[in-house]
Amino acid sequence: MTEVIQIEQLVVTYRDTETRATRTVVDRLTFTVRPGEVFGFLGPNGAGKTSTMNVLLGFTHAASGSASIFGVDVRQPIARQRIGYLPEMTYYYKFLTAEELLRAYGRIFGLDDGEIRRRTDELLALVELEAARRRLIRTYSKGMQQRLGLAQALLNQPDLLILDEPTSGLDPLGRMKVREIILRQKAAGKTVFFSSHELGEVESVCDRVAILHRGELKALGPVGEIKHPADGNLEQAFLRLIGWPGAPKPASDAGPADHQPTAP
Amino acid sequence: MRAILTLAHLVILEMVRRKDIYVLFVLTALLTLIAAAANIFDDTRVVRYLKEISLTLIWVSGFVLAVTSAARQIPAERESRTLFTLLAKPVSRWQFIAGKFLGCWLACGLALLVFYAFFGAVALSRERSLDLAGWAQAISMHWFMLAVPVALALAGSLLWAAPSSNSTLTLVVCFGIWLLGRHLHKVALGLPEPRATLLTLVYFIIPHLELFDIRDLIVHRWPPVPWLFWLGALLYAAAYTGMILTGAWLLFRRRPLN
Amino acid sequence: MPQTAIAILFLTSLALVTSLEPWFQSWQGNRAQSADLLAVLLGDARRAFANHFFIKADVYFHNGYYPSIFDNRTAFQTPHMAADAGALEEKNTGEEDDFLGPPKDWIDAFGRRFKPATHTHLYQGGARADGPAHKEIELADSQDVREILPWLRASAALDPQKIETYTTTAYWLRQRMGKTTEAEAFLRDGLRANPDSHEILFELGRIADEHGKDPARARNLWELALAKWRKFELPKKDPDTFSLLQIASHLAMLAERESRWDEYLHYLGLWKAASPQPAEIEKRIAEAQAKRAAANAKPQTQNSKP
Repeated sequence: MTEVIQIEQLVVTYRDTETRATRTVVDRLTFTVRPGEVFGFLGPNGAGKTSTMNVLLGFTHAASGSASIFGVDVRQPIARQRIGYLPEMTYYYKFLTAEELLRAYGRIFGLDDGEIRRRTDELLALVELEAARRRLIRTYSKGMQQRLGLAQALLNQPDLLILDEPTSGLDPLGRMKVREIILRQKAAGKTVFFSSHELGEVESVCDRVAILHRGELKALGPVGEIKHPADGNLEQAFLRLIGWPGAPKPASDAGPADHQPTAP
Repeated sequence: MRAILTLAHLVILEMVRRKDIYVLFVLTALLTLIAAAANIFDDTRVVRYLKEISLTLIWVSGFVLAVTSAARQIPAERESRTLFTLLAKPVSRWQFIAGKFLGCWLACGLALLVFYAFFGAVALSRERSLDLAGWAQAISMHWFMLAVPVALALAGSLLWAAPSSNSTLTLVVCFGIWLLGRHLHKVALGLPEPRATLLTLVYFIIPHLELFDIRDLIVHRWPPVPWLFWLGALLYAAAYTGMILTGAWLLFRRRPLN
Repeated sequence: MPQTAIAILFLTSLALVTSLEPWFQSWQGNRAQSADLLAVLLGDARRAFANHFFIKADVYFHNGYYPSIFDNRTAFQTPHMAADAGALEEKNTGEEDDFLGPPKDWIDAFGRRFKPATHTHLYQGGARADGPAHKEIELADSQDVREILPWLRASAALDPQKIETYTTTAYWLRQRMGKTTEAEAFLRDGLRANPDSHEILFELGRIADEHGKDPARARNLWELALAKWRKFELPKKDPDTFSLLQIASHLAMLAERESRWDEYLHYLGLWKAASPQPAEIEKRIAEAQAKRAAANAKPQTQNSKP
């Protein structure tokens, strides 16, 4: 069976604009995401999460290694035909209405007008923007924009949903909505790949997680396997894995090797 | 093609909903009407100066509209991060450039239709007839010419991130070519080497936007340009536009977006 | 506290305004010039603009077929519309029809298809003079020359001291468009700005003579023009003999029409001095002397009759 995401020995570098020095932000990263799973992509700021996502979405090119989505090289635009993406900060064309935005994106996905109308009605109802569908986006609150972001990410009924910090800046109700949508996708057999700092949330919805620190993969596997008995929750496991000094010590002698990335 | 058309549609919607076109049109109309109100020895049939003023304002407005709208497209997409949502969809960078170009160019065409309709009304108000062939040639050549500044500004926005500096630079280049382009070769003849060769090279490299300026023919009621030459001019503009857009795509193709 | 400060500032400025305004109104200084909005906005550049518009009128006179500063301009040194109007002495040499020369490259050759390419004149029917629409009109009667007027008017507004603008405009107004009243009014405007202009006085004289049918007034104006010429032009190192020729010739012809032979001979003498072909005028002088002798003989013959 084709893996949904396959990343092998991925290296991402950036050139510092001031010093002109090349900096490695993702170092020989290898993992896969399987069909139908909810995959949490974790790491502190600067760990290389967004850089990896940028490669997956074709925004940047890898210095070496490979990345594919549904078996298609991420450099091919067609690789993005079956994905839905919600960026961390959602800004849309403010001169459009929600309806117009979804129609435009629908056309880009090659949907016919009838189908676009049907899905627009359905999604705007789902994210509770029905009443504001003909209002210019510039008049939307941050929460409304985030909900519209979710609607556009689901417009093509994606087989893979990539969410970058989907709950950042949302109120509790908004977070609940996001969680609900992730679980709906999972129930429908779709794959969800998302990054988040809300570890409690990750713990509650993810089948597997990958923890990245300074460009290197520190752990990969189901939440239950990553956690030590001494770790009260995923947050404590996370702090221990990234080597935070105040993190709880492991109860057994089992060293960090236990938490080294397992085979995908 | 659908993605390109959708992007173009978005650009047109943006330009229609912004106030730039209306401001430029109102300014053009206002200045022309002020000129029309001048008393020229109680003679109400004097028309050529009005046609010239109107056409010159249309040309300047065309340049301003084409360059400023194209120059802000990519920086605005990056600044508002809409570019990321868009390119996360099955849109290639070539389609993105092509869509942005097409949108700006079509919007300029729509604006030109309004401007030239006004020009036609001004001319008809004092002349008994409107030279339709000349009018059609003027608008079509002007529109095709504007493809070059649009492409230049789009390519420029990949080199200079600030829309203001890109707009200024592109406008200076465009106005420079428009006003002096055809004379560069003559100037080069009077220069010492190596400046003469350099200027001659520039003369042969630049897109000669002034070729498309048939204002004199329209104002002074000369017969239309032979249609074969008209077609040649359109192809000339298309060729330059294609080259500049290819250059823009090559610049944008592997550029990391952060 | 801020309110008090604002109130004090307001009162101070009010007091200053009331005390300074009368002084400002009576003060001349640079204000005398600043009353002209164009002068304030453009400064000395307005003369350059005025020249540009004057040339622009000549461009229109040629239906857009005109050399740029990069082309051979020898045939366009004196604007044709002004030379044809007698407002300026023509100093053009060279080929009017081929100032561009042969195409220098394919871009040049291609580009010429998009610009006016034939030497035509507005007063001869314009760019489509040979077209079917113009076949039936008398080309010599074409009033399309009116199209040069806006630029001439703009030129005069920008530089009221540019005399040829008034004389050229007046010529085409009265000659081709029958607008004698407008021509005279425009010349009077010019005379107000240039009270010592012999050119404007001469042109006013032509209107009085040719349109007003008032030879006495024409003579007065021309004599005044001649006096101005003598006073302001003659002392110059290189006086404008073309104007002298025009004034003297018109005064001479008027005197001839009225059979004032002494006066006729006097102006013929001036005409001869200014003319590039004095031999021609010499012939006229001989004829005039004969006419005067005949005229003088007539009364004697009449007196000798019983």
